[in-house]
Amino acid sequence: MGLERLKKVRASFAADLAAAGSDPDAVETLRVAYAGRKSGLLQDLTAALRELPNEAKRDYGQALNELKKFVEDGLKQAKERAAASAGSSSVGQIDVTLPGRALPRGAEHPVHLVRRRIEEIFLRMGYDVESGPEIEDDWHNFEALNIPPDHPARDDQDTFYVGSNLLRTHTSPVQARVMERTQPPIRIVVPGRVYRRDSDLRHSPMFHQLEGLVVDEGITVGNLKATLETFLHALFSDDVQVRLRPGYFPFTEPSAEVDISCIFCDMKGCGVCSGSGWIEILGSGMVDPRVFEAVGIDPERYTGFAFGLGLDRVAMLQYGIPDLRQLFAGDQRLTRQFE
Amino acid sequence: MNFDAAWLMDLLDSPPGADEMTDKLTACGFLVELREEGDGGEIWDVEVTTNRPDAMNHRGLAREAALAAGATLKPFEFELDESDEPSSDLATVEIDDPTMCTRFCARVIRGVAAASSPEWMQRRLANSGVRPISAIVDVTNYVLLEFGQPLHAYDLAKVGGARLIARRAVAGESLVTLDGETRKLEPGMPVIADAYDVVGLAGIMGGADSEIGDDTVDVLLEAANFDALSIRRAARKLGMHTEASHRFERGADPELPPLAIDYAAALIAEFTGGTVCAGRIDVRPRPWEPHELTTTASKLSSFMGLEIPLARLVEIANGLDLNPRTDGDTIICSVPSYRVDLEREADLIEEFVRHVGFDAIPARLPVLATAPGRRNPNWELVDRARSAAVNVGLAEIMTWSFIDPDSDAAVESLPMCPGQAVQLDNPLASTQATMRRSLLPGLLSAVRDNLNQGERTVAVFEQGRVFWFADGAPAEGERLAVALVGSRLGRDRAVDFADLKGVVDAIADELGYPNHRWRRGGGPWLDEAQAAVIETDDGKTIGSAGLVDHSMAKKWDIKTPVYVAELDLAAAAEEIPLPSFVELPRTPAVTADMTVEHPTDLSYADLHTVARELAGDLVEAIDLQTRYTGKGLPSGAVRSTLRLTYRAADRSLTQDEVNDQQEALREGLSRRLGVTFA
Ligand SMILES: [Zn+2]
Repeated sequence: MGLERLKKVRASFAADLAAAGSDPDAVETLRVAYAGRKSGLLQDLTAALRELPNEAKRDYGQALNELKKFVEDGLKQAKERAAASAGSSSVGQIDVTLPGRALPRGAEHPVHLVRRRIEEIFLRMGYDVESGPEIEDDWHNFEALNIPPDHPARDDQDTFYVGSNLLRTHTSPVQARVMERTQPPIRIVVPGRVYRRDSDLRHSPMFHQLEGLVVDEGITVGNLKATLETFLHALFSDDVQVRLRPGYFPFTEPSAEVDISCIFCDMKGCGVCSGSGWIEILGSGMVDPRVFEAVGIDPERYTGFAFGLGLDRVAMLQYGIPDLRQLFAGDQRLTRQFE
Repeated sequence: MNFDAAWLMDLLDSPPGADEMTDKLTACGFLVELREEGDGGEIWDVEVTTNRPDAMNHRGLAREAALAAGATLKPFEFELDESDEPSSDLATVEIDDPTMCTRFCARVIRGVAAASSPEWMQRRLANSGVRPISAIVDVTNYVLLEFGQPLHAYDLAKVGGARLIARRAVAGESLVTLDGETRKLEPGMPVIADAYDVVGLAGIMGGADSEIGDDTVDVLLEAANFDALSIRRAARKLGMHTEASHRFERGADPELPPLAIDYAAALIAEFTGGTVCAGRIDVRPRPWEPHELTTTASKLSSFMGLEIPLARLVEIANGLDLNPRTDGDTIICSVPSYRVDLEREADLIEEFVRHVGFDAIPARLPVLATAPGRRNPNWELVDRARSAAVNVGLAEIMTWSFIDPDSDAAVESLPMCPGQAVQLDNPLASTQATMRRSLLPGLLSAVRDNLNQGERTVAVFEQGRVFWFADGAPAEGERLAVALVGSRLGRDRAVDFADLKGVVDAIADELGYPNHRWRRGGGPWLDEAQAAVIETDDGKTIGSAGLVDHSMAKKWDIKTPVYVAELDLAAAAEEIPLPSFVELPRTPAVTADMTVEHPTDLSYADLHTVARELAGDLVEAIDLQTRYTGKGLPSGAVRSTLRLTYRAADRSLTQDEVNDQQEALREGLSRRLGVTFA
């Protein structure tokens, strides 16, 4: 029976092929024996097709073709192996400086890189990472944070409105939401997208913030200071100096603006720090008792601190990106620099 | 705000050097942002926070500087000569609405002559960023810059009835202000009127008709106190912001007008040769009442994390003119009229922290419960999606959350259009007026921009939120969208649907949609021939993918084929179950191919499903090997070669067993699907 024979030839070729290994001579011998033009086995098997009854021809032919392919592929691979093992002598010296075959590589947006780094620092300190809506109500974005209607701070945070709602102007409303549903101890960071109606070289109508909040019994100004120092050392380097100076935010009192020593000029004064040697990096303060009252936390029992910084700004500082709006232009060349 | 450094130093006895002074000011909350050379000394640009209107003038800042630097504020002295003629015989003042005007002082200076202010005053004004104009105007500005009291000078002859009334505007009134603009007033806006007309926007800007000119002989001077909210609302409505409104909006000192008006009158008389009339007109419906604030040294110490002796608190309170007295551990402070920001204990505590200084407070990390931090599931989800996209070689981009309403309208026909669009009431630009309902419009714009930058291959994704109205309330959801253009990364082959599907499947698997399925559909956004909707096995739509339709590409001005996909993350699994280990096979697998000829409208998914059903337990996998249409096949027919992998757990299969299985499967397929075999 023809098909049986094909099967046997296939098995014997596989065995011979394995035996030949990467020896070029053995491979050549193998080629002559099976695929040789004059006396190769495949020639014989092809000739045998003619002898078969018509009804058997189709199956036999198909099986024979498969066998031929099997032999060809096997010989080809064996030859490549032989050539490769012959190495320099047959292929020639490889130019190892030629480019490799590139594999596709993805890249994260720099703002997300910064976000994840900062999240990681706080996760290790035991903070939870929270999230909230970008379309907010007035209560969470302003009123609960001690910014009543007509408060001057509303001027500084020019707001996009959607009917009675608004696009959140900071990540702070998530503070309010978390405090409304959780009693202390609370320690969270909240990264997210925020919006202000403002556009120039230093302002974008859309940007990203990360907010932090700690509420517990006995939280002190010293705790705030140490937390920010620890965080900023982890984010930039242990060498940076951290300076807190009194500032004003409606939802914290006292409030502190936080500067780091300029990482570009070693505090000698440069363009980035406008000659001052300091870079303003975040805003912070002790949670205003009015905020606690608004969200149902007892201000006599608990104290807390909050802080916030611009993720885009950190990305710009760390990677030297000059224009904030460049981050949102959708240019893949920017991201691919961070592969 | 710009301060004349020499002027500031002049108000202090034994001030420190400029370097030390600027450092000390910064440390107590008045950041000296910029120091530059001015006329005869430095100009300091100092950031005075919005809650401290009392320090938005030289004397107010000097008060803080004195305490911070251990200097003393010089007492203020001046002489005022008055004539015998009483001011009240020459002009009258009324407060019609005490909710908008809490105090109104006025004085008359007679017989003034046009003059310039002295050089020293012009220098101080210029260094503070105010242009010198004439003696009278300069004096009002000078007193504002020294004390913080806005003043206004009227030409008495032009004040109808020699009478000033602080009232609210009524319908139909208007005023040409000093800057020459005609202002239409809304009823209720705070104004100053004479006997006939409105002559000034109270606390914001005076009117042109009663303006001081070279021919002015008698001056009527106003120093008033207005309600912060009334001024603020009016200024906002009128779109105006002036030195006066800036201070009134934040709260001016109700006790300051008498001193300020006397000092200003004396200076005007001195510079213009005029005479100050006797007596000050001073109308105030209610006198200012001081109030007290209390805290304790122990509370403050535990709040700061630093032991603070009561004596130090008393020292600070004295420096801030808080007239402290103590009772045991308690310190009781009386709030001066100019400190409108001190309302509560927290405000008082802030004062002490500010002047103790953050530098003096030791940094000590809080002791918190040692629980590991957890991430909100939403962040876990979006980062899982993002990292899956990065892992398949895509570059992440960010585009605007608000888009062109036109682009957004094109989204209506998407299978995943979530609902009615959210429009911004006050967009920055008409092209950024609608909150995106899909990431695709922004992504297409980015693709176009990348191509215009000369990029030939674009492989990008964006992860972000989309917005819509659900039952009248705004809603938002997380999405991830992908775009592929040009050649597949790292290969010199044009990108096609299968590339897109490979990318999307990888991401969808990572999101916990392992049994998601693809079906035809998704036009007209996508080219009908290469468009798919992606569903979960319970039929929920989780995405769409395909070649962007020609008409859409044209709308975005793109001529290259663009493959896009968008996935809705809402239905993704919150957690991916841990994989469970399956015992590794100990027996060899045998593969066998089967070439099926079938009509193109039999989908691969259906062919595969039926083959899987029919194949016995010995079949481990069925994979598509090749697919062929064209020469040798009737049109509408296709040849799919399946590779079947056979394995028995307990033995090596023989070729005969496999052949039998293959034969049975062929029969089954031909019976169920009517297919033939090549
Ligand atoms: Zn620098």
